[in-house]
Amino acid sequence: MQVLTLLVKPSASITFTFNDLEVSAIPGQSVGAALLAAGDRVLRVTRFEKKPRAMFCGIGVCFDCLVVIDGAPNQRACITEVKAKMVVRTQVGGA
Amino acid sequence: MKPEPARVVVVGGGPAGLSAALNAALSGASVLLIDSSSRLGGQYWRHLPETWLEQSELHLDLDTGLLLISAVANHPKIEIWSGAEIWSATHEDGAATLRLITNGVEKIITTKALVLATGAYDRTLPFPGWDIPGVMTPGGAQSLIKGNGIAVGKRVVVAGSGPFLLPVAAGLAQVGCEVIELLEANSPLRWLKSLPTLIQNLSKIGEAAHYIAIFNRFGVRPKFNRAVVAAHANQDGELESVSIAKIDSNFKIKKIERVKCDVAAIGWGFTADTSLAGALLLKQLVTKDEGVAVLVDENQESSIAGIFAAGEITGIGGSELSIAEGVIAGLAAAKYIGCKAEISNNHHKTRAKKQKFAKALISSYPVKSGWQSWLTDETIICRCEEVKYSKLKFAVTELGATDSRTAKLLSRCGMGMCQGRICGRFVVDLVANESGISPSDISEKERISVGNRPIITPISIELLANGE
Repeated sequence: MQVLTLLVKPSASITFTFNDLEVSAIPGQSVGAALLAAGDRVLRVTRFEKKPRAMFCGIGVCFDCLVVIDGAPNQRACITEVKAKMVVRTQVGGA
Repeated sequence: MKPEPARVVVVGGGPAGLSAALNAALSGASVLLIDSSSRLGGQYWRHLPETWLEQSELHLDLDTGLLLISAVANHPKIEIWSGAEIWSATHEDGAATLRLITNGVEKIITTKALVLATGAYDRTLPFPGWDIPGVMTPGGAQSLIKGNGIAVGKRVVVAGSGPFLLPVAAGLAQVGCEVIELLEANSPLRWLKSLPTLIQNLSKIGEAAHYIAIFNRFGVRPKFNRAVVAAHANQDGELESVSIAKIDSNFKIKKIERVKCDVAAIGWGFTADTSLAGALLLKQLVTKDEGVAVLVDENQESSIAGIFAAGEITGIGGSELSIAEGVIAGLAAAKYIGCKAEISNNHHKTRAKKQKFAKALISSYPVKSGWQSWLTDETIICRCEEVKYSKLKFAVTELGATDSRTAKLLSRCGMGMCQGRICGRFVVDLVANESGISPSDISEKERISVGNRPIITPISIELLANGE
């Protein structure tokens, strides 16, 4: 998927990893937004049908964008602020 | 537990919560403002620290937000806890107790005066393919722009119903997305009925004109009586196209065409977040848009003395009404703990005017039951638990469920992580329809019970076990 245009010129940039690949982000962005900007929209695979899921509500209500962050599952990518050196992984299943 | 000092606790950092916190503090009260987000402003004034200036043309009302946020943040009597999730709330012996997690640490606070301003989120309806990556809510698409500084995709369809679609479509066009369709499910004629009220709110007409100018500049042509009724995935399972239908006044499909897009932002107004109000057993009522709202008196006080509510949770009405209600709630809460605070006629008049406008708007954008005919047996109803429409119907027709609570237990609809925040509201309608109950005969209790959650936000078992 194509990389999306950033709307702001960040004064600083940080890096983290998603499934072992390095991704850069603007401080203050959510994990989900930084991944979307880098072209990674699919964040989770569902428990039963193994279907891909992405951010849906975008504000922490729907729990569809769950990812594993630094080993902790069930983190909402849309409202978790990205931090340098975070280790983020696709989550398989829900809670 | 040692007694807490007399203070006002405000939950929610959006327009209503900020106004309440500031006005309580200005009346002399000590205030604790609890917000779930890392930055104040709520959904309406969501922002990235460095994008304030760059966003000014994307947001009509950012100045008010900036003023309020800095006034609250700099007020010596206001303490702010950001990034705090309240997971339990109870009320006993005249005081409310809130349990919350902030930065991984559990905190418990009690207060005699509590203001709830927990806001709302996009109202959604299910349709075939709405679980495909790329389908999202308009609020979600907007939060990516305002809160994260990114455009959500390249070719975007904006659809659903309600005035919120206009700023979302305009914002997307301004940041470089191609808004290939802007679809309002209702007819423009509905506006005529509320024209007298609209004319009394000239600023709103100016706002609409502002969006229309943007649509002209970017070649966005709004269409009416149309809806996205299905989404289709490519081989990677992501959004490739949507089926757009011309619909009748009851939302039944007349004619369908396919349109290619990588994002579809679809919303049907808003659902108030009444989880906290429900946990506190505040009296609630069903609103004209079949939503649920907290019942309040003329001073925003709920059915429990000392607990006030303001903003979208007392009925969807937009930011201006939220501010008017927040001001009154803040003053009333300060007065409740003994501060000198005066709620004037003007306060009530301003609120009444905004309320009238909100009512007119809601009746202009109804959600008609014909949407249920868009579903197939295979359509996902509960996104969390992957429950299909056929399974929900089976719970009613074969297993005998006649209310949504039983249908939930028998189908697992609404039993996942979001606790029915997304599907609860429309499952009530689907169960009623399957049971042969007409929408107008659905009981208040049935609609209100959807928002009742014993644990307000999912927390880890360890935390529950370690709690008191």
